[in-house]
Amino acid sequence: MRARGYMADGALRLAAKILILAWACACPGAWAQAAPDKEHRVKAVFLFNFAQFVQWPDSAFAGPEEPLVVGILGTDPFDAYMDEVVRGEKANKRPIIVKRCRKIEEAKACHVLFVSNSEMPRVETILAALKSRPVLTVGESEILYRHGGMVSFVTEGGRIRLKINLEAVQGSSLTVSSKLLRLADVTAPPRD
Amino acid sequence: MAFENMRLRQRLMAIMLMTSASVLLLTCAGFFAYEFLTFRHSMHRQLSTIAAIVADNSTAVLAFKDRGAAREILFALKAEPHITEAALYDEEGHLFTTFPDGNGAEGAASVPLLPAADGFRFDESHLSGFQPVIQNGKRLGTLYVQSDLKAVSERFRLYGAVAGLVAGVAFLLAYLLSRALQRQISMPIMALAETARMVSQRRDYSVRARRIGDGELGMLTDSFNQMLNRVQEQLSRMELLNQITRAIGERLDLFSVYQVMVGALEDNLPVDFACVCRYEASAGKLTVTSVGGKSIALASDLGMQPHASVEVEGNSLEKCVQGSMIYEADVAETKLPFAEGLVARGLRTVVLSPLIAEGSVFGVLIAARRPVDGFSGLDREFLRQLSDHAALAAHQAHLYGALQQAYEDLRRSQRAVMEQERLRALGQMASGIAHDINNAISPAALYTDSILERETNLSRKSREQLQTIAHAIEDVAATVGRMREFSRKRESARALVPVQANRCLQQVIELTRARWYDTPQQRGMVIKVKTELEANLPPVMGIEGEMREALTNLFLNAFDAMPEGGTLTLRTRTVADQVHVEVSDTGSGMDEETRLRCLEPFYSTKGERGTGLGLAMVYGVAERHGAELVIESEPGKGTTMRLVFPMAKEALVETPAPPPPQPPSSLRILVVDDDPMVAKVLKETISADGHAVTTANGGQSGIDAFISALRSNAPFAVVLTDLGMPYVDGRQVAKAIKDASPGTPVILLTGWGQSLLEDGEMPANVDRLLSKPPKMADLRQALAACFPQHAR
Repeated sequence: MRARGYMADGALRLAAKILILAWACACPGAWAQAAPDKEHRVKAVFLFNFAQFVQWPDSAFAGPEEPLVVGILGTDPFDAYMDEVVRGEKANKRPIIVKRCRKIEEAKACHVLFVSNSEMPRVETILAALKSRPVLTVGESEILYRHGGMVSFVTEGGRIRLKINLEAVQGSSLTVSSKLLRLADVTAPPRD
Repeated sequence: MAFENMRLRQRLMAIMLMTSASVLLLTCAGFFAYEFLTFRHSMHRQLSTIAAIVADNSTAVLAFKDRGAAREILFALKAEPHITEAALYDEEGHLFTTFPDGNGAEGAASVPLLPAADGFRFDESHLSGFQPVIQNGKRLGTLYVQSDLKAVSERFRLYGAVAGLVAGVAFLLAYLLSRALQRQISMPIMALAETARMVSQRRDYSVRARRIGDGELGMLTDSFNQMLNRVQEQLSRMELLNQITRAIGERLDLFSVYQVMVGALEDNLPVDFACVCRYEASAGKLTVTSVGGKSIALASDLGMQPHASVEVEGNSLEKCVQGSMIYEADVAETKLPFAEGLVARGLRTVVLSPLIAEGSVFGVLIAARRPVDGFSGLDREFLRQLSDHAALAAHQAHLYGALQQAYEDLRRSQRAVMEQERLRALGQMASGIAHDINNAISPAALYTDSILERETNLSRKSREQLQTIAHAIEDVAATVGRMREFSRKRESARALVPVQANRCLQQVIELTRARWYDTPQQRGMVIKVKTELEANLPPVMGIEGEMREALTNLFLNAFDAMPEGGTLTLRTRTVADQVHVEVSDTGSGMDEETRLRCLEPFYSTKGERGTGLGLAMVYGVAERHGAELVIESEPGKGTTMRLVFPMAKEALVETPAPPPPQPPSSLRILVVDDDPMVAKVLKETISADGHAVTTANGGQSGIDAFISALRSNAPFAVVLTDLGMPYVDGRQVAKAIKDASPGTPVILLTGWGQSLLEDGEMPANVDRLLSKPPKMADLRQALAACFPQHAR
């Protein structure tokens, strides 16, 4: 019963998302702001997926019911799509919320933090501020990765691949699922 | 070969192998059935497990859309060769990647384009299903896996091979084991069978099966051997019974039947004590008849020696004499006088088996042994059968004895009849001869008498010679008289008169001189006759002639007993009021049997020479005289025959003979005799007394003469007629005379003595009876008696 209920639930949401997606595609003009390019749509889903494959220490949350926060620092490349992706979803029974941050201080309360390319100039500051905090830092710039960002999206031949800086991850109190690790490129970033 | 006809060993092996094979088959079948049922389930589970693992591993690739990694994951399924197809669908249900070709959306045609419901299902040749891919409770896609069912058949092929191998090895092992183990069962049975075959073929009951082990087969062997023991024992008993039966069957007298039986029992059964008792229902007791040779001492101790009696009553033997066998397993427990004796001699077990013939018990077989309960059932059965056989044999012996006795009696009476017939013929002949001799010597006797009486001037020598002639004539008459005695019936009541035994003996010595003096001398042997006679021996009451006859017989026997010569002693003496007259010889003597039987008529040791009547006659004479005949004899030493007479009550008074009565003189006398010589002598001698004598030479002429004289008024005063005459005999003459003149006395003269006259009575119509040769004195006495009035 449980299984069927779960499956029925899953199928319903799946159908709803397909409907939304189809509608968004059919009326690009109306949802122009909420419809980023395909690449960022995938990346948004990936960001959400990190919540599934990374484990945070309990101290990262104020309570068992506290939401998992996906933060975006800097310019948001996902528009409203990110919100769509996480709506209704849960990670380890925690609701997932999206938080758009301007200041580094705000970013400290996030669990997954997408550091936008716009923040590259102060990347060192950001990373230093977040160092040894249970925040999975994700970016799409080689710079971030080189400075100690944990996960980096790399686009190769139209496919988005992941690079994970194991040293950085191990330095924090996060645990990354081996399932995720086997997909990712775990070569350590070159030292400057 | 039908199973029933197989040899035991093969059969046992077949049974064991068939058992093993069926157990193996059943086990395999059960295993296969179980595997078939469980293998699908386990395959289902296995595939689910594989799918779950792959799905779990596929979460990230679906989440991050990494087809390459997805392909790698699916390719790991190659390790499981039965998985034919696999596919991953993304969250939206689009085909993400496939196995084994690794294509994406337009992959293998056989892969479903869209995922169906989760779960695994079997179809004809495949097991396939969908497994959700879920990470942290979030469904990320679906895994499709399909497996062919070759695993089942492969598995079964493998199982078949293993089962076949195991079954083969097990069967081989079973064969080897059964080969080894069947010997445990078959060997003792084969040994038994072999023994049984030997027993039945060779009839050798002494062989024994070898015992192998202690189980039922060991027990079977024991039982078989015990059975053989029993058979052997029974056979030996049968043989013994047979032997005894044959032995007693050959015996025809009861005593030896019993003796053989008890002897055989002692030696062969064996028993410690065996005896046979005769049972007399009337006396109510058992009489011991036979005791086994080894039991004699014991029997005397027990008071059961031969001829001893055992009371039936009080000894609880009633049951036995009623025909039931008695078995006392422990005689100590029976409080019987009979049993006490047995216990005291250490005999604890006794069997009393009745001997039964024609439905009645006539004897009891007693067997005893020392140990308590010493007779097995077999022994008792043996004794019972032996008793039956012995009873039969004894009965037959008894019947045979009776038959023998009857035959002996018959033979004896036949002999007696023949002897009587012979004697009768002899007697008749003797009678005839006596008649003729008496007639012949009658003239001599009469003339001698007459001359001696009348001629007074005879010289002394002539007178002596005449007297010798007279004696000789008397002897001839006596001899003829004795000869007549053979056939003569005994006068029943001859009066006993006082007789001088000494005188009798002297006479006998003289009479038998020829036998003891003349004949032996011719043969060169000597018989001495000694007399030891008591002077003044009192007389005994008797008949002189018979006494003389008896003594003569004793003499003759004594002579016959001394064929080589010897001494004959005659002895007389007075012992108290008895007179003993003994005749002793120094001859061969008699053994016990002869002594006991010598008085029987026709018993003779002299063969053809003897009649077997001599001593019988002596015995008869002794009886009539109230005398006892004592026989003392010892073989080789001689025999003494003693006649013990009672002394005469009145002493013999030698009264001088009264003067002979004088008959009247001048009587007219008719003498009738067919012998002219006799008639002439009678006429002359009677005439000499002064009588007028007329003679007639035949019966009829005598009658005629008498009648005519009667008619002519000159009748005869007395008629003297011979008895034996042709045509008309003395009796007819006497009758005719009495008819004509009843008052005329008739004197009958007979040369036959009195044998032809019935019972010694005076024949009818006869007044006086005289025997030939007549003596003058007798004639005168007879005439005087006829005329008593003149005698006075």
